[in-house]
Amino acid sequence: MKPEASHALERLMQALLTEIAPSVQPAYRQASVSIQAMLLLSVREELERAAARRVEENRALRALFADAAKAVTEAPLRDHLASAAASTDASLLVSELEAGNRALRALLIELHAHVESLVGPEARRIEAAIWRELSASTERRKLSLGPC
Amino acid sequence: MSDLERRLAAYLALRVPDARSVEVSGLERIHGGASRETSRFVLRYQQDGQRIERRLILRRDPPGSLIETDRRVEFAAYRAFHGSGVPVPEALWLEEDPAPLDFPFFIMEELTDLESSIQALLSPPYLPLRAKIGQRKWTILGEIAQADPARLGLVGLMPPAALEQCWQRELTHWERVLDEDELEPQPVTRAVIRWLRRNPPPPAQKLSVVHADYRTGNFLFDAEGEIRAILDWEMAHLGDPLEDLAWGLGAVWQWSRDGLAGSLLPRAEAIRIWERASGLRAEPSALLWWELFSCVKGQGIWVSGGREFQDGVNHDPVLCMSSWMMGNSQDRAALALLGHLP
Repeated sequence: MKPEASHALERLMQALLTEIAPSVQPAYRQASVSIQAMLLLSVREELERAAARRVEENRALRALFADAAKAVTEAPLRDHLASAAASTDASLLVSELEAGNRALRALLIELHAHVESLVGPEARRIEAAIWRELSASTERRKLSLGPC
Repeated sequence: MSDLERRLAAYLALRVPDARSVEVSGLERIHGGASRETSRFVLRYQQDGQRIERRLILRRDPPGSLIETDRRVEFAAYRAFHGSGVPVPEALWLEEDPAPLDFPFFIMEELTDLESSIQALLSPPYLPLRAKIGQRKWTILGEIAQADPARLGLVGLMPPAALEQCWQRELTHWERVLDEDELEPQPVTRAVIRWLRRNPPPPAQKLSVVHADYRTGNFLFDAEGEIRAILDWEMAHLGDPLEDLAWGLGAVWQWSRDGLAGSLLPRAEAIRIWERASGLRAEPSALLWWELFSCVKGQGIWVSGGREFQDGVNHDPVLCMSSWMMGNSQDRAALALLGHLP
């Protein structure tokens, strides 16, 4: 049994906030140390979910693209969506999951703009699904220290 | 004296009329403003046989920051409002030549024994004063909106815009910031930008000085709940006064998490106070446009700070923290305004 990374980060954060920051001068540097402690708290939150949230999101985006491709009228975008929907995450390394996620989110922007230009209930259905995913993606990234 | 204190003293010896034995001490970096390094210091000199001591603030351009701004505009805004009903510190000297202190800078008076932080506001003895501070905050903002930029002498320094084009100029500017600085796709913000272009607001009711970062945290208040100075005019420009009202109402400034605008007052009351002080109307659909615009602008600021941190231009951890935390909160605020947050 050894300490978990998240435990180590929490301990570091506590040390910075309660033991180190109070003895640092001037006030500007003290505040800067406190911010670094908050940053560690956020790193701890992100570390725990880093792979999970990207896997979940990449899966959700691929499903969304597979569904939306049927309604898309532009052939290049439709092909791009179909190709992205059929893709998979090559590994669970966070850097690779993140690279895939960025590509998928860039395509989501393209799809969203296209669907907004379409009329009809099918386009509105897909648009609503995109907004649901945007809301979910924002929740996945939420940090407990944020103001809202 | 440190090297910087010596150089500052040498500079001020040439600026203060008839000053002799000029000394600078206690130069200390403080938090304040996102685009310039802010430090306080004490200036002492002999003048007309008297020993004079002044507490001053140095605002120096850093190599990288949250916001890239024109120091001349910030300096001019302080000068324009000094002595008016809008309280500001006195701006004293502007130096655009980097030679004296390595970077351009300006110097203004320091107002002491005052508070600005949200932590102070949410603790005794200030906590019970929030409503009073809120009353003053939105009254002063209304006075800024009501002020005549030409009479303040700011029209030459701040580019004017046609009333119907204020929104377009600001949106284009912040969209370009995102294009240049974003480190990852921003699907929420991009959707908001498209919404804003499809649903333009009505023309501005008047061309006003827009402070552009008018929020809790950017003013100094005393223990009686009086606001003594509005700070951080670094993004000031001419534009639609609703831009300032909307920015200050943003959910990302509700650190008290009690639904109070700027952690001070109920939203409707803040709007009423501003309308009364400015003589202008905050028409709900126009205000919604500017609140959504604020989400784009906010994201532009957080993204730029993240870029500076990532590129190693500025290692201040607040840039990284803002990029993560405020960036997410800004998206949540936008989704809530559009009715897409459960």
